[in-house]
Amino acid sequence: MRWLMQNMKKTKNISGSVSKAALLLLALALFGTVSAQDTLRTFGPRFGIDLARFLYLLADPSQKGAEISADFEIYRNIYPVFELGYNSISDSQDLFDYSSAGSYGRVGIDYNILPVKDRSVHHAITLGFRYGMSIFTHQIENVLIPGEYWGDYMPEAHENKLTGNWIELVGGLKTEVLPNFFLGWSVRYKVLLNPEMDPLMIPELIPGYGSGGEDRAFGFTYSIHYMIPLVKK
Amino acid sequence: MKFRILLFFILILATACIDVEICDEDYDSELVARFKTEKDGILSDTTVSALSLYGIREGLSDSLLYDSIPASGFVVPLDPHHDFSSFALQINGQSDTLTISYQHETYMISYTCGFASLFTIEDNIESNSGVIKSDTIINEMVDAEYEENEEHIWLSL
Repeated sequence: MRWLMQNMKKTKNISGSVSKAALLLLALALFGTVSAQDTLRTFGPRFGIDLARFLYLLADPSQKGAEISADFEIYRNIYPVFELGYNSISDSQDLFDYSSAGSYGRVGIDYNILPVKDRSVHHAITLGFRYGMSIFTHQIENVLIPGEYWGDYMPEAHENKLTGNWIELVGGLKTEVLPNFFLGWSVRYKVLLNPEMDPLMIPELIPGYGSGGEDRAFGFTYSIHYMIPLVKK
Repeated sequence: MKFRILLFFILILATACIDVEICDEDYDSELVARFKTEKDGILSDTTVSALSLYGIREGLSDSLLYDSIPASGFVVPLDPHHDFSSFALQINGQSDTLTISYQHETYMISYTCGFASLFTIEDNIESNSGVIKSDTIINEMVDAEYEENEEHIWLSL
């Protein structure tokens, strides 16, 4: 905790854009923070899984998904990031049934803005961007258009294979809670690049992005990561 | 401290501004027709003293949409089961049959409200007895959205 307080002061001096609220959340995450053993820094690929997907499942059982990520500190404080995931929704509305399922990938870079002199410390406050692409199929069935005069009309089922493209601005935290184990969260602001992908039906779920009805969207991840310690230098 | 209070109120306002979509229960895509008379090549609005009108429906009994009432035109739903709709009209005691052909598609109103019909009227509106002398398509797209002063066809009497 003393380490945290020291770094909180340094961060405030160097980066005025880091909010106190974010640091408070960082403090909440640091219930078991690892203290520095030596000044050598460990390098290796870091793999993560998004735990927030399981919370989403509790909030909305019609949506299922999983997401894994990988990053690596390729240069001081610069982390190329790869994220892969799967998302599906199966929903029954009053006047139609809808389903959408597919995979997505994101690629981008995170930059650690948390200044630490001790290079053995891996805690990070990151800003970054992503490019995301999703390939998915959505389907509508049992559509009913009520008609009082001519009678109800039931059009044929509609299925379309689509590709969604978007970009994201990402900000987040990662804390090393045990040697090589990290907890972290990120918030994301997403901009959909091709909203007019299906003229008949706006996708209710673009895997990895969210609702296709929104040209702008927010996202949240809460992840656990493990870094394979390959090199110390 | 002021910033924290401001942030608190912004968060309260942000959570209060959640959109709740309310769906219109009327999913009919309705054609709006206006009656016109022509004088010296100029069309002008007209009102008939008695209009009766019903759709010619396969396997269903006739059901009047207009029952001998003064009207400057009519608003009728189109048949999504066929690529045309036929209507029997009686204007000031004279009978006619109006057949309107179209291409039919469905479109999504919204995820909450579902789907509706979109008709694209074709330029071959037929009437068989001469009560309606000519027709003009003003807007070929007939959908389920209500727009004030919307007109799709003019019928010259």
